This record gives sequence, C-alpha cells and structure tokens, in this order.
Amino acid sequence: MIGRTAKGWFAVTLAASLVLSACGSGSGDVQTTSGAAADGGGDKVSFTIGYASGDPAARKAISDTVERFMDANPNIEIKDISDNSASSYLDWLKTKDAVGEFPDLVEMRDTEVFADAGKIVELPSDLVELFDSPPEVDGKVWNAPLALNVPQGIIYSKKAYADAGITDLPQTYDEFLEIQEKLKASGISPLVVGGKDIFHMGFWVNKFLIDDVYAKDPDWNSKKTAQEAAFVDENVVQAMTDFKFLFQNYVDKGWLSTPDNQTASVLVSGKAAQLFSGTWMFSQIEEADPSFEYGFYAVPDREGHVNVIGLPSPAGWTLSAEAAKDPDKTEAIESFIRYFFEPEQYSLYLASLNGIPSTKEKVEYEASPAMQSALDLMNDPEVTKSLAINNWWGENLIPPQFRNWFYKKLQEMVVSDGDVSDYMKQIDTEYDNQVKTNAM
Amino acid sequence: MGTPASTAGLRIKEKSRRKKSSANSFALIFILPSLVLYTLFVIVPTLGSVYLSFTSWDGISEDIRFIGLANFAEIWQSPRVHNALKNTLILTVSLVLLENVAAIAMALMVDRVRWFKNLFRSLFYFPTLLSGVVMGFVWTMILNYNFGVFNQILNAVGLGSWALDWLGNPDYAMVSIILSTVWKGAGYYMIIYLAGLQGIPTELSEAASIDGANSRQQFRFITFPLLAGSLTVCMVLSTISALKIFDQIAVMTDGGPGFATETLTYIIYKVGFGELRQGFGTALALVLFVLILIVTVIQVQVLRKREVQH
Repeated sequence: MIGRTAKGWFAVTLAASLVLSACGSGSGDVQTTSGAAADGGGDKVSFTIGYASGDPAARKAISDTVERFMDANPNIEIKDISDNSASSYLDWLKTKDAVGEFPDLVEMRDTEVFADAGKIVELPSDLVELFDSPPEVDGKVWNAPLALNVPQGIIYSKKAYADAGITDLPQTYDEFLEIQEKLKASGISPLVVGGKDIFHMGFWVNKFLIDDVYAKDPDWNSKKTAQEAAFVDENVVQAMTDFKFLFQNYVDKGWLSTPDNQTASVLVSGKAAQLFSGTWMFSQIEEADPSFEYGFYAVPDREGHVNVIGLPSPAGWTLSAEAAKDPDKTEAIESFIRYFFEPEQYSLYLASLNGIPSTKEKVEYEASPAMQSALDLMNDPEVTKSLAINNWWGENLIPPQFRNWFYKKLQEMVVSDGDVSDYMKQIDTEYDNQVKTNAM
Repeated sequence: MGTPASTAGLRIKEKSRRKKSSANSFALIFILPSLVLYTLFVIVPTLGSVYLSFTSWDGISEDIRFIGLANFAEIWQSPRVHNALKNTLILTVSLVLLENVAAIAMALMVDRVRWFKNLFRSLFYFPTLLSGVVMGFVWTMILNYNFGVFNQILNAVGLGSWALDWLGNPDYAMVSIILSTVWKGAGYYMIIYLAGLQGIPTELSEAASIDGANSRQQFRFITFPLLAGSLTVCMVLSTISALKIFDQIAVMTDGGPGFATETLTYIIYKVGFGELRQGFGTALALVLFVLILIVTVIQVQVLRKREVQH
C-alpha cells in the first residue's frame, strides 16, 4: 500500500512539474535570440512594440512601417502586441505591465508616471537631435514624438449645412449655437459624440476648459493641486455649464453607447451633421465614404477668440527600461526609430492620419483642404495653443486616476441633469482626495 | 474485554475505517494535481495580495508604501464604492432569480416536450458556449442605438418612438446587461435542473395524478421540493457568478453611462489598472472575497435545510 501511494505521489509530482514547466516555457518568447537567422545572417534581434491602436488608420500606418522596416532589416524582428481594444490606453498598458509584457518600444502618453516608476528610459541623445525642441520632463527628454498635437474642431457635413441654410462659419460661440439650432430645425441630429470611449469625452470637455480656464491660465492645474483654484470657481462652472447645455440639447441621443470608431459612420450616413474631433478623423471619414464632402473649423469662444489644443506634450515612442538593459535590442530599437522618422517613411505615416511633423527635417505630404484649415490654425499666432487637462506635466500633472473619473462624472451630470455647482463640489473633493492619496 | 458480539462489531468498524482511509488516500492522488496548481496560482497570490491591500502601491513602481487601514477606510467612505456595491447587489439578486426561474422553465419544457427534445436542449444550451466577451459584443451590436438590429426592427414596425439608447441610458443599461446575461447563463443551469428532474421517480407524479393533483399542484408539492438539491447548486453557482460578473460590463457599457453599471469586480479592475491604484484595488478585491464567502455560506446553510432525500 505504501509503495503504491509513493508511486502515486511520484506520478503526481512529475505531472505537476511537467505542467509547470510547460507553463514556464510558454512565456518570455520575445527575447534577443542568437543563432542562425532565417536569412542566414548573424544574430537576430527581436523586440516588442506597443501603441494605441484604436484608430485604424494610425494602426495600419505603423504596422506598414514595421513591415517595411523588417523587410529592409531581416536581422531585426518586431513583434506588434498592440491588440488594445480597451477604451483606455493606460488600462491596456498597465495590464501588459502586470503580466510582464510591457512593450520594449512603447507609445508613451503618461510619461511622467512611467518615468517615476522607472519603467522607461531617456531617449538616446543622438535621437533627441532628430526633433525640434521636444518637451522635457524633469529636465530629460523621454519620447520621440510621433507627431505634434493637432487642433480639434468641428468636422461638418457640407450637405447638412447647406440643407439647413448655413452659409457662414461661426465667429463666436453664440453663432455656433445658432448653427446648432438651425441644424436641429432641419431635422438632423447636430452632433455625434463617441461617449462610450471615455477618451472621446475629453474632446468637448477640454474645448470648454481651454476656452474658460487654460487659455487664460496654463498653470491652473498646479493651482488646483495647491488648492489655490477650484472646480467650483466661476470660470470652470461656466465651462461645464456650456458643456452640459450643448450635450443636453444638440448631441445625438445615442452618444453614451456610441464608440469613437463609429462616429465617422454616423457622420457620413447623414444621421448627424457634425463631429468634434481631431485631424486624424479625416482619413477615417474618407475611407467610410470617399464622396463625402466635409469641412473643418475650430469653435470660437464667446468673445470670438480661437483656442485649440496645439502645444507639444511629452508623448511618443519611448524605450522601456527593461529593453534598455540589452544593448542589441536598444540598437535595434534606435534603428527602427530612425527609420520611422526618415522623411519618406514618416510622410506616409503623417499622411494617413493627417499629422503634423515633429522632426527638424522637413516632411511634406499632400494636405486636404480640411487639413489645410487645421495647419492654418497652427500657424496663426492669434490662435491660442493649449493642452487637454491630462496632457500637462511637471507641476501641472493631475493625479493619473482623475481624468477618467472626471469624464464619467460629467456624463453622469448630463444624464441625471445634475446641478453643475454641486457636481463641481464633488469633483473638487475627489481631486483633493486623489492628491492626498497619491502623496501617501 | 468485550463480548464476542462486540468484538466482531469492532472488527467490522475497523475494517470499514481502513477501507474508508484507503479510499481517501486514493482520492487524494486524483485531487492533488489540481490542489497543487490551485495553491500555487490562486491561494498563494491571494495571500500575497493581503499585504498589498495595506499599501498605496500604484502597480508599476517599485515603491510600495505601507499605509495601514487607509484603503479600507476609503472603501467604507467612498460613494463610488457604495454605488458599485448597490449595482452588484441589484445585478446579483436579479440574475439569480431570473436565471433560475428561466432555467427551471426551460428544463421542465425540455423534460416534458415530446417532439424536438434535442433541438430545444441544444438551442437553450448554445448561448452558454459563448464567452462573456463574445456575448457582450453580439448584444452591443444588437442594441446599438444608431445601427442596432433591435432599434431597426422597432422602426420598421412603426414603433420608432420606443427605440432607445439601451446601453447608454442609465435606466436601461443595467436591464440590458441583466437580460443578456440571463440569455447566456440560463442554459447552463437548465442542464443541472434537467438532471434533477430526470432523477425524480415517475411513480410520485403518477400517484399524485391518480389522487387528483393537477400539474401546478404536482410541481409545487412534488417536483419543486425534490429539485432542492439542484436548486442549491444552481443558486450558489449563479450567485457567485453574478457577484463576479465582469466581461459583459467591460464590453457592453464600460461601467457606464457615468457609473450606472459599475460593479465591484469592474471597479477593482478600473482602479487597479486604469487608475494606477493597485493597493486600493486589492483591498476592494479582499472585500469582495469576504462578501462572496459570507453570501455563499449563508445561502448553502439555508438551502441545505430544505433539501429532501428520496
């Protein structure tokens, strides 16, 4: 009996160890591997790449560049792990980190958070030279900016405007509201919003915050953190009152269940007349319906000033600290970054999502009339350039957990017809709590 | 010194004890692989997470600071957590009731129907084969406000005014999640109830029928009491499953609109991963663990009492 039991234990232990070793061999397959490569060349280097792949045009542009790079460099293999369908890119990145799959080369958006955590390293100095004054965090450049921040504005259906008898673009915010009334009266839903994806909420929220807060005070975030400014302040309440009014009166009924990638379809199908978004949507719209005629303009504030997103922010291709420990991998990543920003490659990427180049070297591509309007905004010194609430850094960095909560709270405020001042009080409390929690 | 009869009795007891012990050892061999893996991948990380729940770890940095009971104090005071708990309870009670009622109804139908028995059994069971994510995507497409089949049918039959933003309206988003989850889950419990129904001796129903009991009385006084074993299993499983619901919410509503469908499991993920508060998320996970434990123990105790042996 004892002998039988002992045999049983042995068999179980063996089985368990086999299972565990099988589990072990499955991970860590993305390594620098030496030996004969398929082309018969020397060492083959492999690294992973991760980026926000929610925008199909950007995803295709990057994956095409990766393919071309690998064709040109058969000794380097790039594994694209950007299967992120999560509504928040940060959720995806954090999950990848938790399971030990943090990309070797990553499109970084929360630079300061990941730099403080020691997950990323500075951009090598020879790469920094490629760019025109890239932003610094703690006096260091961490990212190779994929493109400069582009302005957001109204992408409108020319047909819907003509049908509603709209001939002139608005010069003030009140004129913009008059246009919304005309569109509504013509029987079309004035605005489509992809509110299911929480980042999309930021487009409108930040339009109002920039007009009423950041255009006049770019350091508002640091003042809020130091409790020298508050969401209950008159300017913020005004911004959020305008936001609520617009959403309750002129936004398509299905906005809370519409994902960002469906907004182009809603626009071209004629279900809505306008979309507030960035220039990257132009290619999606043209792909959805090449014959769709659209225009683009920035929404002015009440005094007729135009304020848009357009300042540089610390974001872009970044090397992970883990990858930087491997000189071969680092060299391969550096050569990919150089390749990516070569004018002939970079122009294809920029053209696919109507981006603005971040490199010193001149990059040209054919801009559509709508894109030209966006470029004119960027070149106009009268137009105030600013950033979204979560894109500031240094003293102006907000608690990383605040943005999504804030946008969701605003959704709740709109659907429950909540009192703006009451909601701003709650938002102040939550912000202060998060600052306190993060200081612990 | 005992009598011959008592000695024989002791021998029989000893023999029976040895037989039982041998059977237990043999059973242990089969259990052990699962036990080892479960301990390694569930018990050990769970115990490890207890420490994390007392820290302010963001989940990415190496700086793990001990903050005592601060996370638990925040859970106690946080309106967001209270809202998630309320949503979890609404979801759990609704799902447990609806899934079990639907499962019993389907099991009775499949058990009694004369024709197409296998077809109905397959049709009812099929949704359970879908993953929660796939099911979520399917229902998201069906219920989409602009392009969804459901609203298009309503428009086509002249009921356009009934077309709503089913997943974007706080009043209907939870209902949509509950109904789609019942659609997916009831078939699984149906199989358990069906096994229970087929184990009930037919003589009981026949005798009741001869005594003049109608079908409703037969169900109430014979079938339902004798299904108590299946009911215990299904109630416990459906409760645990409802308390842990995640996939459908992640895909269909992302916890929204606002926080209208945010549940405890979803908030654990959101704060732990999206909001870089692993310590707080872990504390919440422990609270959920305790909640499930308490609910399950109470449920088993209550339901076991009403089980009938036959």
